[in-house]
Amino acid sequence: MKFFRYIKNIFLGIWHLLQGMYITMLNFVRPKLTEQYPENRGKHVYFERFRALLTMPHDENNHHKCTACGICMNGCPNGTITVISKMENDPVTGKPKRVLDKYLYDLGGCTFCELCVRNCPFNAIVFTNQFEHSVFTKERLVKQLNRPGSSLAPKPVQKPEVKVSNGNVEGPALHKGQPVPPEKTQTI
Amino acid sequence: MWSFSELTEWIDATLRSLMGDGWALFVEFVLIGVAVLVAYAVLALILIWVERKVCGFFQCRLGPNRVGKWGIFQSVADMIKILLKELIRINRSDKVLFRMASFFVIIGSICTFAAIPFAKGLQAIDFNVGVFYVLAVSSLGVVGILLAGWSSNSKYSMIGAMRSGAQLISYEISSGLSLMAIVVLSGSMQLSEIVAQQADTWFIFKGHIPAFIAFVIYLIAGHAETNRGPFDMPEAESELTSGYHTEYSGIQFGFFYLAEYLNMFIIAAVATTMFLGGWQPLHIAGWDGFNAVMDYIPSFVWFFGKTFFCVFLALWVRWTFPRLRIDQLLNLEWKVLMPICLVNLILMAIVVIL
Amino acid sequence: MKEKLINRFDWLTEADVVMSDGRLTIAVEPAKLREIARFIKECGYDFLVDIVGIDYGDDLGTIYYIAKGSDTADTIALQTKSDNRENPVLPTICDIWEVGQVYEREVHDFFGIVFTDNPDLRRLFLRERWKGFPLRKDYDADPAINPIPDRNELFIDMDALPEMESDEDGEGRTWKMMYDDNDYIINFGPQHPAMHGVLHLRVRLDGEIVRTVDPHFGYIHRGIEKMCESYTYPQILHLTDRLDYLSGAINRHAFCLCCEKAMQIEVPQRAVVVRTIFDELTRIASHLLGWGSMCMDMGAVTAFIYGMRDREKIMDIFEETAGGRLMVNYHTIGGVAKDIHPNFRRRVKEFIPYMRKMLKEHHMLFTGNPIATGRMDGVGRLSLEKAIALGITGPSGRASGWANDLRKAAPYAAYDRVDFEQVLRSGGETFDRYVIRLHEIEQSLRIIEQLIDNIPEGPYTAQVKGVIKLPEGDYFQRVENARGQFGVHITSRGDKNPYRVKFRSPSMVLVGALKEIAPGNKVADLIMLGGSLDYVIPCIDR
Repeated sequence: MKFFRYIKNIFLGIWHLLQGMYITMLNFVRPKLTEQYPENRGKHVYFERFRALLTMPHDENNHHKCTACGICMNGCPNGTITVISKMENDPVTGKPKRVLDKYLYDLGGCTFCELCVRNCPFNAIVFTNQFEHSVFTKERLVKQLNRPGSSLAPKPVQKPEVKVSNGNVEGPALHKGQPVPPEKTQTI
Repeated sequence: MWSFSELTEWIDATLRSLMGDGWALFVEFVLIGVAVLVAYAVLALILIWVERKVCGFFQCRLGPNRVGKWGIFQSVADMIKILLKELIRINRSDKVLFRMASFFVIIGSICTFAAIPFAKGLQAIDFNVGVFYVLAVSSLGVVGILLAGWSSNSKYSMIGAMRSGAQLISYEISSGLSLMAIVVLSGSMQLSEIVAQQADTWFIFKGHIPAFIAFVIYLIAGHAETNRGPFDMPEAESELTSGYHTEYSGIQFGFFYLAEYLNMFIIAAVATTMFLGGWQPLHIAGWDGFNAVMDYIPSFVWFFGKTFFCVFLALWVRWTFPRLRIDQLLNLEWKVLMPICLVNLILMAIVVIL
Repeated sequence: MKEKLINRFDWLTEADVVMSDGRLTIAVEPAKLREIARFIKECGYDFLVDIVGIDYGDDLGTIYYIAKGSDTADTIALQTKSDNRENPVLPTICDIWEVGQVYEREVHDFFGIVFTDNPDLRRLFLRERWKGFPLRKDYDADPAINPIPDRNELFIDMDALPEMESDEDGEGRTWKMMYDDNDYIINFGPQHPAMHGVLHLRVRLDGEIVRTVDPHFGYIHRGIEKMCESYTYPQILHLTDRLDYLSGAINRHAFCLCCEKAMQIEVPQRAVVVRTIFDELTRIASHLLGWGSMCMDMGAVTAFIYGMRDREKIMDIFEETAGGRLMVNYHTIGGVAKDIHPNFRRRVKEFIPYMRKMLKEHHMLFTGNPIATGRMDGVGRLSLEKAIALGITGPSGRASGWANDLRKAAPYAAYDRVDFEQVLRSGGETFDRYVIRLHEIEQSLRIIEQLIDNIPEGPYTAQVKGVIKLPEGDYFQRVENARGQFGVHITSRGDKNPYRVKFRSPSMVLVGALKEIAPGNKVADLIMLGGSLDYVIPCIDR
């Protein structure tokens, strides 16, 4: 009896080995999953919510929405964002007003937690899908998000009806993190 | 079927007409040596590429696909890289043995390689004890592996070498015994003679069940002798980083790497020669038309086709199964394979007598 | 329990034993600690969840969280304080709960509390020569005090056990070497292909056979608990994903639950269900990787790639809805960050049958394989008692037959409304720990299947105040992560930053189990056992 069990176990073992080989052969003939990256550049569809790079959208008149309030800078856990503001006389009222001078973003320190975007009361910054980050020196990872010569959008920014809490957004602005059409790939 | 001996005889005659017999022999030796070395290197490159590609396909990947179309030149690029790499000196290692070890391994495998009949009339060494020679020379490699592990002054290498010593010496037995079954069947130890006897029927068909059992055991034992998964305990990437060649770099590592792949080829080639009829085409008794068509296919195509079939089997097994533990491995050899081999030898003797 | 305690110990007053947050909190003096700890153990509380060290300013204290092995939701907290700040001394409890040994080492490392009679009180994460105790409030982080060493440090520091000369001061220590000169000691890690992360094991070998295993932690310690003390609560959330990166969403859930409990926020049902689905998807992804890497540890590289291939589908689901793959960043205090993507339901529904089919293939490829079963059978047996004593929770504990699933014991999120089984096996061997992960994937699929069509409509996050401040007090919340019970302890003083945050890592005790089950087995088994326990190092080196 013991002998037959021994023989049976041997054949059972061989059967399981063959099953394993069947699975690998199945995958041998299946279509392959490798993403051919540089070739599929442009063809591959990225998920619109994918967080890859913080950007500040500008409209066609080179206007952005940032009022240099600094909420994003204070909310950032890693000190990734530096908002440098300057005082300027408002052309309409003539009173001195704080405007954005430089919006510096250190990609090297960013953990993509999205606190800045969620905290921004003016929807001035968004994450885009542009993920090709490699540069040769660390310094080049520090990016200036506002374009040269850009300014705050002139029409009075509506007081947002969004109730902003620290990291939590309530109200209609549900899809705030949603994409603006990705800009053209910058050459590095 | 065209024989390569026409070519070799023509070279021999030309050389003898140009110079004295001694010089002609000398030039021939040099030519053969160069030819064997070149074939060895080229085959190794092809095998490395094949392995990587096949492995990729088993794993739902594409494998190398950057250097050339389908990554054909990937292993050439790797070779150039490995040639340019620094040979790192290991502190407090045994320098002489450390250098020598990789040569032991590669010389053992080249010597075996030279004895294989690749095609009709294409065989460098044809002893009358060819099987014996192949077994003897191929086990030279274990010396190199032991030396490599010992001289590296590394604990990982040491464990790897010790495992390897135990493994190779054990599996030498069943691979030898399974070949003996064929020697019993053919009554000759000369490889060319064994191939010639398979002109009508291959030994795997002629020898009935014992030949088939011997074939399977030879593949298992041979696989174990090449230190490839699931028998890759001496390397055991996930346990010992890479076992006996952990400390090697550059071309010294390259020698181990080449020898590993070529050993896989050699095992497949010996299996082909002994069981699958070597370069002989497939003949089925009575089907004359079919046999004639088969004869038109050149002999080296038959040989390499069968060999690569065996290589593919080895790769398939390697990329499917987990690694054995050292005690399981030795149990498999001493408690399963070797007794079966001995019984099989008796069975084969009975088959031959009947 | 409260009456029992007060009846037994006449020195305990009503004020010392407080029922808060669903558990008894007992404040005791150090001298009485062992007495009461023994009594609690006798009452069936045999699972020491965690020891939290706290610097109260004037004095240093510890909180012991102890749960019942038979009902892991039933928890008692023991609080004690040592009034001497210079040479704080507390009695050890590691003879009562075995796992206390490593927790005490951690507290000793960060607070400098000496636990008398603890046999191995080396520092756990930092070097022996490190000056100062980092989690004390008066710690000076000046790099000049602890410069980066310019030379290799000797292993002698790691291999010597301190022995106590006297109970009063920590000065009079002598050292005892752990190994002989003739021992064959081999370092697995910190950089080693088989180590999941940068774990360092000092292994004493006898030929191929492992004799002792001594783990060293701290190679990627990032001081997250210290960082948390200077962060606001929403900022801390981005660190929780980075503890056990394979079950990031679940860890984050624990922290959110803890804050929500403290602030008494009602989370909308939509968020609750979506969070549960995310947790289960994370669990599947983690188990797939755990299965794959265990197979790879045993030499089957192909299985690993198959595991990664299936995990990729889950990563895609995460990416589409949350925007992150590994660091999902989805749960927030009060709900979730964004509403689910319109494709979310469809993708999850496609994934469930796909995963079922693939599970079958995984079983065919590896579970029945005679080489694999031959290697796993009878190796690394962990008995039920030992599992509880060592605090081995999660799939590894359930493989030993310990019903410790918090999703059943103390259902949080939407687990009380779904029908699923707690997978239990009785063997406690490597094969049980291996196969239980695949079975848990099936159960997770069941949970997702029940929830995916029943996501309620409504807001996806509750209204939360602008600046989140937790009311004063201690809060402790545990969830079932892919490796076991993950706990978050927050001590708040009412500020926008927490006063102390402690994470209970399930992985740390899993490495401790390696010490127990590896000796006597082969080197190859050591690696396989590591794979079967499936620890994640960044969770240990917080």
